[in-house]
Amino acid sequence: MFISHLAFADAPVLKLWHGYRGGEEQAIEQAAKQFTALTGTQVELLAVPYDALSSKLTSAIPHDAGPDVFIFAHERLRQFHRMKIVAPSGNGLDRSKYLKPSVDALELDGVLYGYPLSIKCLALFMRGDRGLTAPTTTAELENALTERRQNQFTLAYEAGDFYFHAPILFGFGGVLFDEKGRAQFDTPAMTKSLNWVKSLQDRKLMPQEVSGALVKTLFNENRAPFVITGPWFTGEIDGVPYSIHPLPTVSETGLPMAPFLGVEAAFVSSRTQQPELAQAFAKFLSLGDATIIRVTLGRQIPAELAAYDNEAVAKDPMISAFRTVAERATPTPNTLEMARVWEPMKLALRAVLQGGVSPADAGQLAERRYRALNREAPPTTTPVPWIIGLSIGLVTFGGWQLRQGKGKTFAKRYPEAGRGLLYVAPAATGLFVLVIIPFVIGLSLSLFHHDAGEYTFVGFANFADILTSKGYRITEPLSFYFTLVVTLAWTLANVVLHVSIGLFLAILLKDPLLKLRGVYRVLLIVPWAVPNYITALMWKGMFHQQFGAINAILGHLGIEPVSWFTQWSTSFAANVITNTWLGFPFMMVVSLGALQSIPTDLYEAAEVDGASKWTQFRRITLPLLKPALLPAVILGSVWTFNMFNIIYLVSGGEPGGGTDILVSEAFRWAFQRNEQYGFAAAYSVLIFFVLFAWSQVTKRLSGEESA
Amino acid sequence: MSDVRLVGIKKSFGENVIVRGVDLDVTPGEFLVMVGPSGCGKTTLLRIIAGLEQADSGDIVIGGKNMNEVPPRERDVGMVFQSYALYPHMTVKENMAFGLELRKVPRPEIESRVAEAARMLELGPLLDRKPKALSGGQRQRVAMGRVIVRRPQLFLFDEPLSNLDTALRVQMRGELARLHRALGVTMIYVTHDQVEAMTLATRVAVFNKGVLQQLGAPLELYNRPTNAFVAQFLGSPSMNLIDAKRDGAKFVGAGFTLPAVGDTSGEVKLGLRPQDLRVASEGPLRGEVEAVERLGFDGYAFLKTAAGSIAARFEGADVQVGQNVAVQPMGDVLHIFSADGAKALRHPEARGA
Repeated sequence: MFISHLAFADAPVLKLWHGYRGGEEQAIEQAAKQFTALTGTQVELLAVPYDALSSKLTSAIPHDAGPDVFIFAHERLRQFHRMKIVAPSGNGLDRSKYLKPSVDALELDGVLYGYPLSIKCLALFMRGDRGLTAPTTTAELENALTERRQNQFTLAYEAGDFYFHAPILFGFGGVLFDEKGRAQFDTPAMTKSLNWVKSLQDRKLMPQEVSGALVKTLFNENRAPFVITGPWFTGEIDGVPYSIHPLPTVSETGLPMAPFLGVEAAFVSSRTQQPELAQAFAKFLSLGDATIIRVTLGRQIPAELAAYDNEAVAKDPMISAFRTVAERATPTPNTLEMARVWEPMKLALRAVLQGGVSPADAGQLAERRYRALNREAPPTTTPVPWIIGLSIGLVTFGGWQLRQGKGKTFAKRYPEAGRGLLYVAPAATGLFVLVIIPFVIGLSLSLFHHDAGEYTFVGFANFADILTSKGYRITEPLSFYFTLVVTLAWTLANVVLHVSIGLFLAILLKDPLLKLRGVYRVLLIVPWAVPNYITALMWKGMFHQQFGAINAILGHLGIEPVSWFTQWSTSFAANVITNTWLGFPFMMVVSLGALQSIPTDLYEAAEVDGASKWTQFRRITLPLLKPALLPAVILGSVWTFNMFNIIYLVSGGEPGGGTDILVSEAFRWAFQRNEQYGFAAAYSVLIFFVLFAWSQVTKRLSGEESA
Repeated sequence: MSDVRLVGIKKSFGENVIVRGVDLDVTPGEFLVMVGPSGCGKTTLLRIIAGLEQADSGDIVIGGKNMNEVPPRERDVGMVFQSYALYPHMTVKENMAFGLELRKVPRPEIESRVAEAARMLELGPLLDRKPKALSGGQRQRVAMGRVIVRRPQLFLFDEPLSNLDTALRVQMRGELARLHRALGVTMIYVTHDQVEAMTLATRVAVFNKGVLQQLGAPLELYNRPTNAFVAQFLGSPSMNLIDAKRDGAKFVGAGFTLPAVGDTSGEVKLGLRPQDLRVASEGPLRGEVEAVERLGFDGYAFLKTAAGSIAARFEGADVQVGQNVAVQPMGDVLHIFSADGAKALRHPEARGA
């Protein structure tokens, strides 16, 4: 009994974290069960949303709170390696058993990490019911359809995403990195590839603003017989006959379009307590029965060669087709530099496709964005003068405090200090932990530069870079001043709308003769009661160009649908509309309370005195509302100034970061642009100063009021 | 200065009939006081004249012009509210100037009118204060000043003195009377206080339950009330009313007989003002003293008699609660009303209108 209990306690348990859902999740669960049946080792699985998985891994593993094995795409391998959270696979990995590019993707400086599970890459999907032959060159593709009706296209793919554009760039002979390994954007191949894509769009061979959902619709409705997409697309085809082909060759250069190959691999954590078991488990997942389960149940394209000989797999046209496609593919570079390519490329692509920038200038635009996002680390300075300065300050302050109490002991000056401290302690602790510590950390962080886990002291360099707009023009969305102006416009527009709509409704609701007044009042307060991110997501959906309610209404009124997030003005308006919806109830409630406290005989007196309704509003209502509304306006302006949720969820900063406000920009610097924590902290400190200045102004405003 | 004519004014709020057809003529320069118990419709009528309420039917004619559809600001009336309704965010000066500014009166003219009103009402030192820094009486004067500077053709007052203490009320009453003399403008004044009505009015209109009971000079109403309600409403303490029956040359009631006057017959109500009765050792009515209101040398005793409560005046005499005393009428003082009190049948002859 005692022994069995011990044995149970010591039974090894492996933890596996993954980002799978649906069939893929079921497959991995089954594979894990097989492993348990085989070895007696329990496996605990944890499905983490894919977007959050990477940050969860990098924060949990160094603290020994992470998994033993985790599944991730190979692009992050370099980062995982630098953060020392991934262990090499050593001799366990037999290269010959997997597709070559899938193993290549897992190699870092001659060492292999993890075990390849599946591959993903783009292919050309063709409808099988149009009597077409698969084009092998771009010229054939362009001429594949001789006749097209309106709103019918030859090709559809998500042209605004660099993942889809990369094969075209490579097909035009483009090279992503120069000899030194730095990303390059302003190249002839870039211009040519963009020219070609733009011409597809201009010749209406391809629709505008294509999203994944639109690709699906066009293909299923037979409005675009060719689409470029990945293996995940098979699940979205509504019983239409189709075939899968390699991407065509670019006629101009004779080079094939080589898509990126993504390899999902099972990696072993460097901090696992059971390295051998973990290695065995990761390897198990990548081979044999586990692969077959993943292929049949999870519809994955296997990295294991043997799987393609399996009878069930060989019969699956999709899987065998992808094997051919994958041979042309190049693994997505797993370098850090690659991670920096996406955002500038996306910016350039969207700028060209939306028509704002010519293909020849797009490379430069991307280059500028790249330089801005990947600012060189400011020169490291020594923190010694700072420490000395801080110490002198503290000593002076201490001495001054002591002098103040000269000749008196502390106990004499504050005879009841003990009891007083006891009373203050709970609030003080909360304040200290929740406000003061984060504030001091944020303040100090703004003096550092962060790069891949290493902090270097740079003094005021972050502030200097921000305030001098280093690396970009003042009129570009990345500039602090541009964002500040947007933020101020955002705040002003919102507060004005909140107050005017709130006040207007309050005046309507004040009328005691209004029927169902209570019902209206509750209904109008509802937007306030719903959590704001839910509201934001609802509005985001309503602003959708194709499926959104707003464009549907505009369509019925005979107005062209608006592409809300491609222009600054409409994107900004969408944000403002959403936040106005959220913000007016508060102002309405405040105004209603204040309105009801104004005696009606004042209006009667004014009426007799000769005031029209408008004059009464201007000369009686407004001045008497001011004491109640002013604090609400001040509060509302600060809330709006830092209203991160709406910006992030509704416009997401589109187009090109133009509608980002200071907080969302600070967020992006911290979490979306190479984790420049110091720079982001400096942004936050500047936000603090702006709001501090505003609070001083408002203090004066409300001071005048009470005087 | 202008006349006001009300023809068949009716007003109800939902089921509640407040004014039941009032006809009233106010002559130019008159100080008309509308008086009655609360809920009698006098304030509503005033608000209808001001234009703050719409009459359900009837006509309001001011200065010969039908005002039914005219908004208050174009009726050229000034109104002093019971709560004063001063604009709390404006100084005294701004409060008074507000109406003039809205009427686009030139600045120097505004200044001089405000200064004039301030002098008249002794508001000079208070001009830059806000209403919350003023006492009740001062606010009251500002409210009047606000109307005076506008020089409207008609002044309306809605119980303006009811929020003041007695001493101030007496003082303000004097000032109002002086103001009326000085301006000579038509004023309509609503109150529930018969003393204000008696002291201020050139004519008094007594209302009850939305009906105009009697309109006339204060003394006429006092001496020749048209019905028992008016008789009781004016005068303090109010008139004693006792039921009686004509029996030959006598009025016989519960526990008393009085020599009959006039030519009435059958059941009547007898009206005797307390001022006309004296507490005496002998008299037609007898009862126990329930309460005494001593005003100094004289006072009133309230007796419980077989015919009901009776108030009577006394002078000097030592009247105590619990004493059994009689009351004696002082000459021909008998008012006689129909048994339901709706109609006066006789007034003492010495008090011809």
